Amino acid sequence: MPILEISGLQKSYGDNVVLRGVDLEVNAGELVCVIGPSGSGKSTMLRCCNLLETPTGGTILANGHQVTSALVDINRLRQDVGMVFQQFNLYPHLNALDNVALALRNVQRRTKAEAQSLAREALEQVGLGAKAQAFPGELSGGQQQRVGIARAVALKPKVILFDEPTSALDPELVEDVLNVMRDLRGRGMTMLVVTHEMAFAHAAADRVVFMDGGVVVEQGTAAEMFEHPREPRTQSFLARYGSRLT
Amino acid sequence: MTGADSGFLFTFFNAEVARQYWPVIASGALMTVGVGLAVVVTGTLLGLLLALARALGSRLLTLPIIAFADIMRSLPPLVVLIVLYFGLPALGLPLSAFAVTWLSLSLVLAAYAEESIWAGISAVPRGQLEAARSTGMRWWQAMRLVVLPQALRRALPPLTNRVISITKNTALGSVVALNEILNNAQGASSHSGNPTPLMMAAFAYLVVFLPLVVFSRWLEQHWQQR
Amino acid sequence: MDSLTQNFFNLEVYAAVLPHLLAGLWTTIWLSALVIPLGAAAGLLLALGLTQSRRRWLRWTIIAYIDFFRAFPPLVLLILVYFGGPFLGLELGKVTAVALAFVLNNASYYAEVFRAGLQGVAKGQMEAARCTGLTQLQAIRLVLIPQAVRNVFPDLVGNGIEIVKLTSIASVVAMPELMRAARDAQSLVYNPSPVMLAALMYLALLWPLTRWLGRLEQRRARR
Repeated sequence: MPILEISGLQKSYGDNVVLRGVDLEVNAGELVCVIGPSGSGKSTMLRCCNLLETPTGGTILANGHQVTSALVDINRLRQDVGMVFQQFNLYPHLNALDNVALALRNVQRRTKAEAQSLAREALEQVGLGAKAQAFPGELSGGQQQRVGIARAVALKPKVILFDEPTSALDPELVEDVLNVMRDLRGRGMTMLVVTHEMAFAHAAADRVVFMDGGVVVEQGTAAEMFEHPREPRTQSFLARYGSRLT
Repeated sequence: MTGADSGFLFTFFNAEVARQYWPVIASGALMTVGVGLAVVVTGTLLGLLLALARALGSRLLTLPIIAFADIMRSLPPLVVLIVLYFGLPALGLPLSAFAVTWLSLSLVLAAYAEESIWAGISAVPRGQLEAARSTGMRWWQAMRLVVLPQALRRALPPLTNRVISITKNTALGSVVALNEILNNAQGASSHSGNPTPLMMAAFAYLVVFLPLVVFSRWLEQHWQQR
Repeated sequence: MDSLTQNFFNLEVYAAVLPHLLAGLWTTIWLSALVIPLGAAAGLLLALGLTQSRRRWLRWTIIAYIDFFRAFPPLVLLILVYFGGPFLGLELGKVTAVALAFVLNNASYYAEVFRAGLQGVAKGQMEAARCTGLTQLQAIRLVLIPQAVRNVFPDLVGNGIEIVKLTSIASVVAMPELMRAARDAQSLVYNPSPVMLAALMYLALLWPLTRWLGRLEQRRARR
């Protein structure tokens, strides 16, 4: 059974229709990359999956639970569906360790010792064990994003949503974050990633999805999509980004 | 209506008493507005002058100005008023209730205005003044045309709040027998043996100050959008 | 010069009235210590209601409260509460009436300060907190409020200083704080020195706090 099943997803803001019926599946252990031009609705679709945006139509099933049902337990859902943000959104008043441990303590109700030990593990997994006591202001953008990933990973979710995780980073810091994501993939985490990093998508994704104008235009394996795109819109989009593939 | 309710209205909203004393309250309101305006004008002007003097950068000027601002912001306005009210006559300078109220509140406002405007001036990047001077402008021209417009824009919201806060203190003038709203209302109340004039005073204060508060809230919202 | 010393800095008078003024100072201090936490707590609740509630009527009511009490002179409020209370059948003690008037007035200023603080926290913070499964209440308590307080801490201190100064108007209703003590002493010795001494005591108490406030504000401007 897929971990994430999106069917006919629709989202409008008043008269502005952003999603016009999106169908997408993410299976356990897969890394699915969503690419497409700005305004295609990629981020909106992602944010519907953990109810940061409320869909106006269609259904989403996450780990077997109806996300779109009125009876959904949002806080329980968000422990299963984690998120990593473009702007990191680390808590500036807490150090790295406490940033990761906060939900462990207050949502999963673990003891301070347990929470800190699990948080330390997560930080080590992203290569920042030594920076546990550092505050976000003392970390580089790439380090902050890795703490953001640790924060999501520590809750042991079933799937993690990545909303353009490297778009706000200086180019030389992007690789560190992508490496952490590759490592996460290697450990079997299910990941849905909205990104502009085409080389990463080409090399690391199991499947690539191209969105435009609020619908999924085409999807397939990374090789299929980048080397033999079938749809004209996909082709013209990839042609514009062609230089990025090297 | 029960007996208690009509008693409440009769006590606090007595139409007869209101009719008799509204001229007194109205003249008090004129005094309040008059003192308030006088304080705003002299207070902000003095504050602006002090901030500009501080911008000149001379230690000789800066230290006394900082001392003045600190002292006037650390003292309750009532204390300033009382000290001047009793102290000035002892120095051979007897001032009217109006003058001493206006003077003390002006000094207090000047201190806050100086701090706000100075903060605004400091926040304008040094490069602005340098750029202006390098086109040949004199110091005062550069200040007037380049720095101050930016500084005042920044200083305006906190300053408006301060102005309202301090002009409300014209009510303190009642303590030194200034014929403003509160004083007149208290007199009318004891004269008539009925607290309705106090309610009229409350209403009069709201009529004067509520528009200012609403305006300052509007100002704050629209200023942020620049 | 001699007249100045005789009238303002009369050391003999100072010595005579000092105990009286110290008692007044103590009243000023505990009255402030009572009003500040109450006003701050009320202000925080109002600000939370204002920024977090989706109900327009609630937000508008809170704004009306805040603007009303910002427009209303505290001295007038004090007199109304103090003298008007009995007419309404409310038997408020002197301290309760004074404290009530001050808290009503001051909660509105604290509400404005906290409102600015809460609105100044980046939207992504609450999103991130909620996305790890924290409830709205938890997110507000653990992520929103700490940051809001940090951002406006200098303004909170500044407001506290204002309250200490505000206690001086309680002298008008014969509350035995510092200003009252000074004016009583003055009428006893027929000399304005006690009032000057009270001014010096206010300075001694508040000037260091005002300097500290200035440093806090500078530190915030640099962040």
